[in-house]
Amino acid sequence: MSEIATDRESGIDARATALRDEQLRARRVRVDRMFVWLFLVQYVGGIIGALTVSPYAWEGKVHTVHLHVWIAVAGGAGIIILPILLAIFRPGTTLTRHVIAASQMLSSALLIHLTGGRIETHFHVFGSLAFLAFYLDWKALLTATVVVAGDHFLRGIFWPESVYGVANPEWWRFLEHAGWVAFEDVFLIWACVMGKREITESAARQAQVEHLSELEQLKSAALEMAMAEMQVASA
Amino acid sequence: MKRRALITASLIAAGLIWAVTVGAMYQAVRRFETTPGRGAAARTMWPARSRIVPGRDRWTLVMLVHPHCSCTPASLQELERIIEMSGTSLQTYVLVYRPADFPAGWEKTETFEAAKRLQRTHVIVDADGAEARLFGGFTSGQTFLYDREGALRFSGGITSLRGHAGVNRGSKDVVDIVHAKAQQGTHPVFGCAIVTTTESEQRQ
Repeated sequence: MSEIATDRESGIDARATALRDEQLRARRVRVDRMFVWLFLVQYVGGIIGALTVSPYAWEGKVHTVHLHVWIAVAGGAGIIILPILLAIFRPGTTLTRHVIAASQMLSSALLIHLTGGRIETHFHVFGSLAFLAFYLDWKALLTATVVVAGDHFLRGIFWPESVYGVANPEWWRFLEHAGWVAFEDVFLIWACVMGKREITESAARQAQVEHLSELEQLKSAALEMAMAEMQVASA
Repeated sequence: MKRRALITASLIAAGLIWAVTVGAMYQAVRRFETTPGRGAAARTMWPARSRIVPGRDRWTLVMLVHPHCSCTPASLQELERIIEMSGTSLQTYVLVYRPADFPAGWEKTETFEAAKRLQRTHVIVDADGAEARLFGGFTSGQTFLYDREGALRFSGGITSLRGHAGVNRGSKDVVDIVHAKAQQGTHPVFGCAIVTTTESEQRQ
């Protein structure tokens, strides 16, 4: 009897896991698609930004197309080509999520540069982290954070003025910048864990309901069969 | 099977493009931002033939500006900070370049308007960069600081990179000199070229 109960419970658990995975995958595929559109919008926005802020480089009265415009067109395309193809041909996979997370942070860095390092554009990083949290996968947030910290760390070593405005910042300065990202990460990671837990619980409830429904159907079928047998016997 | 191989090959190619783009972009931006414009060939004293009259009772700062240079707003932001920190002891002139054969109004950009909003600052249109040549400057953002006797005390840029406002050695030097904390200063200048020859080179 207990073996039957154990088999039944493991069957419900397996169904709950399958339902959870199915729901998570469907959600992540949707988020992948959302990022495809976001990448395209950011790409166009980057080009418009470059054409608005710095369309030309000047030498006296002679002008040529500014390097920023080429970077927005070619660099922007180079950054988004891989995540878009992955989102189309490998949607919902772990690799796709992490490449999207890294590419989104690189897009932030590009937009910050194209707008002349405007402090307001730095909010793009924080908005992007919130979008990435839609995946309910805290590891994708870590990838994004590592890319931001790595960008600041490397630029801090080789090109410090571009990120800190001074030529000789303290070696730990990148940690201060990454710290604010980590501050947001703490809450987003918590939201990811909670969100995933809710989906897991919901899937478990659904599996239980499905199982009870199956039992009810079996009971109904058995009852109908018994009644049919009684009718035959009484006839 | 063929489609699967094609997709895999496309993804690998996209991965390579992605990695190369990121590397190349960082390199291109770095080179662009850190390469200064041509440094000034400034004389040690105020150019006598200039139509600008230097202040005899205060410091005189002259900045050359290309109105369409996208890096120059950062120089003007730094200049604003210098003016605030220097108070009334500093008289500022911003010389805005305009080619003589270009229609009047070509120079009226946001950069021009930003220069006009600066306190205690005269904005002068510099036709064909004639004044820039007299001062020996070539690059937008080039800043000259003269003392009360007309001696050049600072020559250079006041931003750390192209288009990057923020504390830097150039602007700090200017403020320190005005407050008698330093004697002389120079710093690379980052901006678009205004003229390519000095006055003497042009005469030759």
